[in-house]
Amino acid sequence: MISIQDIRKSAQGILVLGNHPAIVQSILDFDSACGKKRPSVVACITANRRSMKFFFGKQEVLIPCFGDVTKVPKDLASSIQWMLNLQSGRRAYESTINFFDAFPKALGGHIFAENVPEKHATELIRRYGKEKLLAGPSGVGLLVPGHLKLGAIGGTDIAQIEASKLATEGAIAVVSTSGGMTNELIRAVALAGKRLSFSLCIGGDRFSATSLTDVLLLAENDPKTTAIAYFGELGGIDEYEIADLLKSKKLTKPVLAYVAGVIDEAFDEHMQFGHAKALVARQDESARAKREALRDAGALAPDTFPEFLEEFSKLPSPDFRDRMIIVNDLTNRRASILSTREIVDLDEVPVFVKGGKLMRRGENAFARAALKALLARDVKSDITAAFAEAVFELLIDHGGNVSGAVNTMITARAGKDLVSSLVSGLLTIGPRFGGAVNDAASTWLTGLQSGMDAAAFVRERTKGGKLLSGIGHRKYRVGIPDPRVAAIAQFAELLTNHPHYDFARAVEKMTTAKNGSLILNVDGIMAAIFLDILMEAEGYSQSELQEIIDAEFFNALFIIPRSIGFIAHFIEQKKNDEGLFRLPDELLYVRKSPKKEK
Amino acid sequence: MSRVKISEYRAKKIILGGAYKGVSVCADEKTKLPAKGKWVAKVDQGVKKRFKQGLVAVDVSPQSAARAMNRWKKKGFSQFILEPLFKHSSEEEQYFSLERIRDGIRMLHARDGGVDIESNPEAVKAYVIRTPEDIAAIAKASKLPEAFLRNLIESFDANFFAFLELNPLIVRNGEAIPLDAAALVDSAGAFFTRAWGEGDVVKSTTKHPAEERIEALAATTPASLKLNVLKKNGALFFLLSGGGGSIVIADEAQLEGAGTQIGNYGEYSGDPTRQETYLYSKEVIGLLLASRPPAGGKKALVIAGGVANFTDIKKTFAGIVDALTESADALRAKGVKVFVRRGGPNEKAGLALTHDFLKREKLLGSIYGSETVITKAVEDAIRFVNLRHGVNLRHGVS
Repeated sequence: MISIQDIRKSAQGILVLGNHPAIVQSILDFDSACGKKRPSVVACITANRRSMKFFFGKQEVLIPCFGDVTKVPKDLASSIQWMLNLQSGRRAYESTINFFDAFPKALGGHIFAENVPEKHATELIRRYGKEKLLAGPSGVGLLVPGHLKLGAIGGTDIAQIEASKLATEGAIAVVSTSGGMTNELIRAVALAGKRLSFSLCIGGDRFSATSLTDVLLLAENDPKTTAIAYFGELGGIDEYEIADLLKSKKLTKPVLAYVAGVIDEAFDEHMQFGHAKALVARQDESARAKREALRDAGALAPDTFPEFLEEFSKLPSPDFRDRMIIVNDLTNRRASILSTREIVDLDEVPVFVKGGKLMRRGENAFARAALKALLARDVKSDITAAFAEAVFELLIDHGGNVSGAVNTMITARAGKDLVSSLVSGLLTIGPRFGGAVNDAASTWLTGLQSGMDAAAFVRERTKGGKLLSGIGHRKYRVGIPDPRVAAIAQFAELLTNHPHYDFARAVEKMTTAKNGSLILNVDGIMAAIFLDILMEAEGYSQSELQEIIDAEFFNALFIIPRSIGFIAHFIEQKKNDEGLFRLPDELLYVRKSPKKEK
Repeated sequence: MSRVKISEYRAKKIILGGAYKGVSVCADEKTKLPAKGKWVAKVDQGVKKRFKQGLVAVDVSPQSAARAMNRWKKKGFSQFILEPLFKHSSEEEQYFSLERIRDGIRMLHARDGGVDIESNPEAVKAYVIRTPEDIAAIAKASKLPEAFLRNLIESFDANFFAFLELNPLIVRNGEAIPLDAAALVDSAGAFFTRAWGEGDVVKSTTKHPAEERIEALAATTPASLKLNVLKKNGALFFLLSGGGGSIVIADEAQLEGAGTQIGNYGEYSGDPTRQETYLYSKEVIGLLLASRPPAGGKKALVIAGGVANFTDIKKTFAGIVDALTESADALRAKGVKVFVRRGGPNEKAGLALTHDFLKREKLLGSIYGSETVITKAVEDAIRFVNLRHGVNLRHGVS
């Protein structure tokens, strides 16, 4: 069986069987509080999802999920040393055996379930009792401060991890049958100004997988441990093991113990208390008898719990230096509600034209074919094909935050298929999202035809607070130009005349004079340049331009590439498979119905 | 979760199968009794020392067996068995038991002992069966028929038995005949075996309706909810959390000399939902309201527990406050005060909402968090209930 000192030295990869988000999150919080570079939880075994999202420090991370232990890929499997079995008592036995069959070299684990049958527990003892370090069945697990948190032990709240100073290696070992009292004693160590060397909760079941003797020998053989605090209950004869170890000098470190259960004396018949083992079957299993046996063997076993606590401050322990845990960093986190990947690099905008020349003289075969299909005529100019190609590339995606991408992802998470998810994203395209290219084309065409100057046109068009399509951006403004607009604008250099583009720029000059954010946006620049290209390079007349505007052709320039982006977000959702999306309560403001407001 | 007694009838049916000729008789149902023959009638409710208590009738006709059972029914018993009389001499009686232990199954056996085994424990030999291969050698050493031992141990193991005592056991002509049997099964095994079920579990005493409701509720949740009604007219009522912490708190009451004033014992743990905690709390509050302590004494509710690992304090205390809200007026009218000590996830928020509620409703005794010792709330509560009529409080162990 591994020693506590070896646990401190080895890597701590945990495979979680089952699903208990609060416990997994607390392990990641412990890891980040201890300054680890990556979470100790390697993966979870849980049906129906591919990943679960947690915080690691302030950052979010996706922990991969697999349907069973044999499905864990090799690259992850090699880093798994520990099992955290959170499955029910009905499944705990089988899943533990499956785990150790798949990971025979694993060091040990924790079985959380409370009602594992005795027959299963004894079989687990026969198989692994001497070889693996196993906390439970039942209880809250194993904790080595600064290194390993295997289970709910020490608390599931970052405030508890801080209050009990669990990032600091200490000298007091805490061993307990009861999960709640394990934590109570861990806290008592910190309140007494000491720090914890390790803690193992052996659980309140009749047969713990690792015997109490073996756990105490871990403490005896651990060079960092200077004293042992123990909590036991009436029922069973474990405490006689401690007494034997003390008497035979196999255990030489000071033992401070509390054996609970004198209340049993107040009842006419022995009572079954909360834990399975907590029932007095023979006289020597009473709290008082066991307490006295411990005292006879040289342990300190006070009569009352307050006296027991007072003794904590007297336990020998060396000096220590605490590792700071900044609780606020970890409490004021808000989980994102959707996750995706960066589908195109938004920071890198390619150069299409430089020094008046096309940079990329490829065939643009797809763009050419697409335009031919849409416009029903051959594309004459390389400029036209290159422009369509450039626009398609630019507009594939603009991040997961935008409305259409959000709708696609939510639909995907509702378990819908590709087409349904894509369509739910596409149906979001309209006047406020991505659907303004055609309107912008209409604006520039009619503006130019009207013969008005830009100032008069803006005055006329914005009467009554109306907005101009192709103008305005939420993020970019004068001084922070949209790099995509600048990239597209370069196409103007390839043309002899570009009246729509000039008109659009003149309009922009008017609007930005009023408000810096009212700049020419991607929709606006695309529409303006494409009108000019179609006129000059493809020979379109004004009435032909009006015809394709009426058919909403210009919106296709957005819909075609963005479909790819939506599909990419869809695929990402299926990969992550986080289950049905539900808006968290704190992100939803609900106005109370008038009846309820009194 | 724990070891429970099953009826002697069911235990024998499992280990002897079709060879068992006993008849199970339930006081509430009509059972066709055999017409003739000599029989043994016994109360079958896991009662210890039945013979000494007169709850066994040996060598009786069916008619006199029926009369005996009627007598026992009047004493409050409801479950009986009737077995064909097996004539034997007391020298033939052997003691035999099996218990599941850490290393396997421990067998205790005494060739001469029988019912009086307690007066000569030195006659008992212990064996440990670690694997089925051990059985042959143990059968040889104990001179018990190997086939009997093998079947018995197989059945014991496969059916999640925890303890089985056959006393006396008669071995005659290579056959073993258990006369009396007592069996404990592991209740956690119920899911895995069909040999016994909930109906076979012996109910020692009649349950309080509140205990029955909590049992029914506990069966529907992965959280742990336990309740024992101890004293109808107690002064201290406990809403405790955690298997270990709840004992520590009850211990403190016992050590302070208030053990006899405890109205109920129990605990909730394993992160129950707000609704489950509400339903649990409601039962405890109901017991408290119904209690009439002697001489119009005071009553206190102790809501206490350790520093929880994963039970959400805000959520569970919201459930407790829901239950207290329903009875706030009645509690105030009776002068009940509430004493709280608890720690764990969302401790601050949970304690704050409870504090505000108790203060507003004038029910606040005292309230503490994880920085205060676990026993403080119960200490305060004991002082409160005993203050007026000067009960002599003891400190430490008597």
